[in-house]
Amino acid sequence: MTESLTLPLPERLARVPFLAEALLLAIAAAMFFLLPYSLGFLTRVLILMVLVLSIDLLLGFAGIATLGQAAMYGAGAYAAGLFAIHVWADPLAGLVVGAAAGAALALLSGLVLMRAQGLTLIMLTIAVAQICMEIANKARGVTGGSDGLRGIRMDPVLGLFEFDFIGQTGYWYALAVLAAVFLLLRLVTRSAFGLSLRGIHDSPARMTAIGTPVYGRRVAAYALAGAIAGIAGALTAQVTQLVSPEVFAFTLSAEALIMLVLGGTGRLIGGIIGVAIFMTVHHTAAAHDPFNWLFVIGAMVLGVVFFVPGGLVSLPARLRGLMGRAL
Amino acid sequence: MKTPFRVALSAAVIAASGTMVSADTIKVGVIATFSGPFAIYGKQYREAIEVYVAEHGTTAGDHEIEFIYKDVGGVNPDTARALAQELLIRDRVDYLAGFTFTPNALAVAPLIDQSETPTVIFNAATSSINKQSEFYVRTSYTLWQVTEPLARWAWDAGIRTVATTVSDYGPGIDAENAFRTSFTALGGEVVDSVRMPLSTTDFTPFMQRVRDIEPDALYTFLPGGPPTFGFAKTYNENGLAEAGIRFLGTAETEEVNLQGLGDAAIGLTTAYHYSGAHDSDLNRQFSARLAEMFPGSVANWSSVGAYDGTHLIYEMVRAAGSDGPAAIEHAKTLAWESPRGPVEMDPETRTVIQNVYIRQVERDAASGLLVNREQGVIATVGDLGWDR
Repeated sequence: MTESLTLPLPERLARVPFLAEALLLAIAAAMFFLLPYSLGFLTRVLILMVLVLSIDLLLGFAGIATLGQAAMYGAGAYAAGLFAIHVWADPLAGLVVGAAAGAALALLSGLVLMRAQGLTLIMLTIAVAQICMEIANKARGVTGGSDGLRGIRMDPVLGLFEFDFIGQTGYWYALAVLAAVFLLLRLVTRSAFGLSLRGIHDSPARMTAIGTPVYGRRVAAYALAGAIAGIAGALTAQVTQLVSPEVFAFTLSAEALIMLVLGGTGRLIGGIIGVAIFMTVHHTAAAHDPFNWLFVIGAMVLGVVFFVPGGLVSLPARLRGLMGRAL
Repeated sequence: MKTPFRVALSAAVIAASGTMVSADTIKVGVIATFSGPFAIYGKQYREAIEVYVAEHGTTAGDHEIEFIYKDVGGVNPDTARALAQELLIRDRVDYLAGFTFTPNALAVAPLIDQSETPTVIFNAATSSINKQSEFYVRTSYTLWQVTEPLARWAWDAGIRTVATTVSDYGPGIDAENAFRTSFTALGGEVVDSVRMPLSTTDFTPFMQRVRDIEPDALYTFLPGGPPTFGFAKTYNENGLAEAGIRFLGTAETEEVNLQGLGDAAIGLTTAYHYSGAHDSDLNRQFSARLAEMFPGSVANWSSVGAYDGTHLIYEMVRAAGSDGPAAIEHAKTLAWESPRGPVEMDPETRTVIQNVYIRQVERDAASGLLVNREQGVIATVGDLGWDR
């Protein structure tokens, strides 16, 4: 205890449990009141955070590189959409169905994919997403083809909160789901399972040597990340009330990965910060100049990759390092 | 339906009173693609809107009109919906416009129904969009609207057998169905239907197959740009033209890409609602002003869709101000002269009734440029896909 008091303030703050999380939650609540007219956009940001968290679990913790997380996201979106139209329009049930669809697809494809490594794995993840997109495009009778799956009308959340025009319910609903996913991932990443994933990330050979079933753990991580991506997809379907084959788009997988790299991999907070910064810059730049805003995004990503390779989450430590050297 | 929205809106208005603008300004939110591979659509829309504004001023009746542009990037229904929400709630627009892709247009249906916001579609060509809300009006065309007249014209021109080759995606498949249904209903025969992968650039095998079958004509539907270049070139190189197999298309020879097609395009036959070479003073004036304000710009169907859409918005604002339902009622009664020819709003389908022309590509003697020369009006039609 006395030892920790002698530490500099930032490090002492870093030891307070859930401080950063509580701060982020407070910011999210404040956003609701600060930007009451942009709730549609803010909800979109929250949903992307869920998706990016799923990629962080794969890339940051288990060391599984993927450019096809949109496959599970899209599977969740279509499953939740179809479930709402044909079976039951309850939002929470829809989330469960979305998660199940994402997990099932990830498990099935993961059994094959997790045997591959590196570039081969990346290509295969892209291929799975492309195949899904083609199926959604072809099965017009079920999915509505490239026109999109329409007619999704959700019941109120918990039977109490109706989805409203301004998007207030949608915002709180997405925020609650994000918080739940975040907590779950925090538990998972600190569990024995999570630690073994970190071990696999650093050295699969050693983990094999000490008796960890590396392949099984990787498949399990892939399926769990698939379930979370499926939840993100289900949220999109419920909030947008329309699903088009573009949920499987390569650009979505790639953009989500960029957001994660921007924020910093290997820490859950990194994904959250990355999405927040990326989407804020994206939104303000696009609103300011809808014709040339891509330049701003490109410059930002380049800047971060060159100057803060660990992502924005490592910025404070890096600055401190620089200052220390200067002194 | 109406009340909860009004309550929510008045709450928003009270909260936003600090940033309120003059009550007489009517805002129009334009949701389109201004970046990425489809940026050309947004560019064409914006330029056409600005030409219209330059010609007619910024006021309609007692109201000032202001346009707000939002970039949706591509086929992106989530973003389209979020942008529409923000435009309606924060910017308090009274009209929406733009919409290149069907899913983006469909995504805003529940919103515009609730807020009673007239939404003018500048491009998206799937018939069923307008069934999703009473508040859609369309100044472009539908796939059926140009395809069925083409099938009828082909039959009248003595063509009895056709092979269809379409790109394998939603609009391509719709086009194939529209052509087959129309052509077989007349007694014609579709001898082969080829669906080509969207990313293909080598069309030789498909052309070879069509050549071997020897139909009277080849009907095709391709997205604009590079695939069309490759297709037109392969069509000529494989000697289909010499073998007497006619080319039947729709948007393939559109003006923005036409010069790039080069001599390979000469002789291609298409049925469409707008040609840059349409012979009217209004069209010449429109094209000239566009080129003057934006050097290098060429008018095509998306320009004319946006130009007419802007006209429609001005007319609705003049008659009804910000009263959405009244504006739509007024829009249903309108008829006007467009750069494409005379158009009239169909009160049932809320898509324009217009002339469809048969055109052939030729090199204009005066300018030396390739043009879609109109050979005649093949039909004056509304949305033929409404009841399909």
